[in-house]
Amino acid sequence: MSLRGLAKAFDGKVAVAGVDLDVPAGSFYGLLGPNGAGKTTTLSMAVGLLRPDAGVARVLGHDVWRDPVQAKHLLGVMPDGVRLFDRLNGAELLAYNGLLRGMDPAVVDQRAAELLDVLALGDAGRTLVVDYSAGMKKKIGLACALLHGPRLLVLDEPFEAVDPVSAALIRDILQRYVGSGGTVVFSSHVMEVVERLCSHVAILAEGAIKRAGTIEEVRGKRSLEEVFVEVVGGRTATGEELAWLSN
Amino acid sequence: MAVELTAPAAPARRVSARHFVRLKLRVMGNNFRGQGWRIALFVVGVVVGLWLAATGFFLFAAPGLADEGRYASMVAAFGGGLMVLGWLLLPLVFFGVDETLDPARFALLPLPRRTLVTGLLAAAAVSVPAVAVLLALCGLVLTAAVLGGWVAAVVEVVGILAGLLLCVAAARAVTSAFASMLRSRRVRDLAAVLLAVAAALLGPLQLIGISAVQETDWSRLTGVAEVVGWTPLGAPWTVGIDVAEGRAWAAPVKLLITALTLVVLLVWWSRSLESAMTGAASTGRAPAKAGPTGGAVAQLFPRAAGWAARDRFGAMVARDARYWWRDARRRANLITVAVVGLFVPVLVNLGGAGFAMDAEQGFAPAGSASSPLLVSLSMVFVGVLAAVTLANQFGFDGSAYAAHVVAAVPGQQELRARMTAFSIYVVPMLAVVAVVITVVLGRPAWLGVIAGSLIATYGAGLAVNSFVSVLGAYALPETSNPFALNTGAGVAKSFLTLLAMLGTGAAAVPMVVAAALLGDIWLWLALPVGVAYGVGAALLGAYLAGDVLDRRQPELLAAVTPRR
Repeated sequence: MSLRGLAKAFDGKVAVAGVDLDVPAGSFYGLLGPNGAGKTTTLSMAVGLLRPDAGVARVLGHDVWRDPVQAKHLLGVMPDGVRLFDRLNGAELLAYNGLLRGMDPAVVDQRAAELLDVLALGDAGRTLVVDYSAGMKKKIGLACALLHGPRLLVLDEPFEAVDPVSAALIRDILQRYVGSGGTVVFSSHVMEVVERLCSHVAILAEGAIKRAGTIEEVRGKRSLEEVFVEVVGGRTATGEELAWLSN
Repeated sequence: MAVELTAPAAPARRVSARHFVRLKLRVMGNNFRGQGWRIALFVVGVVVGLWLAATGFFLFAAPGLADEGRYASMVAAFGGGLMVLGWLLLPLVFFGVDETLDPARFALLPLPRRTLVTGLLAAAAVSVPAVAVLLALCGLVLTAAVLGGWVAAVVEVVGILAGLLLCVAAARAVTSAFASMLRSRRVRDLAAVLLAVAAALLGPLQLIGISAVQETDWSRLTGVAEVVGWTPLGAPWTVGIDVAEGRAWAAPVKLLITALTLVVLLVWWSRSLESAMTGAASTGRAPAKAGPTGGAVAQLFPRAAGWAARDRFGAMVARDARYWWRDARRRANLITVAVVGLFVPVLVNLGGAGFAMDAEQGFAPAGSASSPLLVSLSMVFVGVLAAVTLANQFGFDGSAYAAHVVAAVPGQQELRARMTAFSIYVVPMLAVVAVVITVVLGRPAWLGVIAGSLIATYGAGLAVNSFVSVLGAYALPETSNPFALNTGAGVAKSFLTLLAMLGTGAAAVPMVVAAALLGDIWLWLALPVGVAYGVGAALLGAYLAGDVLDRRQPELLAAVTPRR
């Protein structure tokens, strides 16, 4: 995936000011950024959910905005803060997404059963997705993104509101996916996850990429957290102010 | 004696009930503090209540004042019965009982349930409506006194006090039982339907009622009144009259009936109080059912869409068909269309005769005032109404529409699938409307005109609303309340709906003109022409609007995503 000069402003307020990013095939790419840095906006523009004011997004050589059908065929997306068709149950939702992608019904059936089984969603039976817990919703969202066997997986905050057991399961699935030649891009603001999983990392702040490269390049000899805080420019220690807290 | 039964009177409990009443008065008082408009509202309420009470008083006292003994039991039975029904149903219709003392607040207090129920009942009886009703009912005491002397009056006083408690208990028990149910989607939908039906029936019922009042042989009603007097609806009100008319033996029996009813209501209330207090309300969702049957794809397709191919188009039809039933908001829309679509044309076409329906005349002659033109017009209305439901079809899905954007669904296919899914419900409904109207009018030959106008308008409406839904979509809030709108969306919604209805109406003009000009031959031509017109318009609409949709997918997604 390659992004060139992607920019977006909402009501005159700049959300993303020209993002350039190259995601090598086969990489596990973490997009880090504080709240409101423009992670979701960037990823939405990269996958065709939000029309950019300027710039180009390419997926494996296909322009997302000029040749959307080909690009979207290769993409698997799990947006954050977007509802699923949640009045369906898990199996129905997967079947729907599969057929929507033009897949063969028999293949859909087989993959849906496997995904539900692996993600431990089979027990939910006919429970509607709207009644799922937050972690289960993330998992079924991931299953929807994986179902058609995309070459590139774009996940927005896949580990938010997920319990440790489900998070470990999602990590395992993603690592296997990358191991077999897939590419993953995901956004997060949790350093530990990114440090543990990613081969590459980019730090996004105030709508622009501040650092990007392999995790070693970005991190250097320090911890990722130190670099992140330095780049983003937050304050890490308090001085005299909250002295009353110690009482 | 009955009073003791109705208000269990051990000293300790009396104290408790008084506490509840005082608490309620204190809460009411505190609500007024520094709130001028609340006091004003309260005063207005009191004045209206007093006015109604005075009216009621004179109605109830009329037989006594006029010294017309034969109407006394009728007024008492029917008037009192209506009163009970009013207490029973009005809070349900308006979804409100005075919850100054919310039972949930007492959940943590160590109160026996009996104390609680008695206390809450006493507190509930201290309200403007209860006092107003009591004042009105004093008219019955006056009637009893005039007709039967002071003994009858005293018995009547006991009767109306018991009856008032019965009213209050009935209102509380019913609303409390329904309160937990009303929290579920299903029952709220049902309530919406009942409301719609009630509203639709109000007109004709009024007319029937008026003509009934003019026609009725009053003496025949005495027997009915007698029967009503022995039911809980009329029993408490008629005791004094019975004494006055020399049936003293009836009074204790009727008071016993009242008391038993009251006890049953209180037991029912205290049962449902339990769940109201602990908030153990069912959310109306089915519990996780046993494991899935069949493959994932087989599960997605409901029986109604079983014919659809297992491909993208079929999947969208199946999903949309499921959504029209599973999504409360969509279902509420669907039900509204069904109810209004059936009742309005019946009223319009029967109304052509000015509703001069006598008992002898009946329906068929009334239809004779109707004409193919009038029928066509009313059918156009139904078609417009059905199609306009889709004016914000993408808003129903909200941000879930992202799945279609990500999968690059072709716009024309999408719109055709949505039309098909909606038609699975609406076309049979339109068929029912057509047949019912034909039968009601007693004009089988008009079936073609009726069905043709319906289909043509509906098809044209689908086309128009495709454009409106793609270009004028707006976000709906993500709640389970089918009637909730975002602030400000109300104006947008009514404007768009109006636009869509005007457009559809304009598109249906040829059918109406044909009905007006072509005469009898149109009776045969209307159906084939209408079907061709409707289907053609819908397909053309999907074709053109689909093109627009292809270019606007991300913008549409942004439009239907609620702001957070």
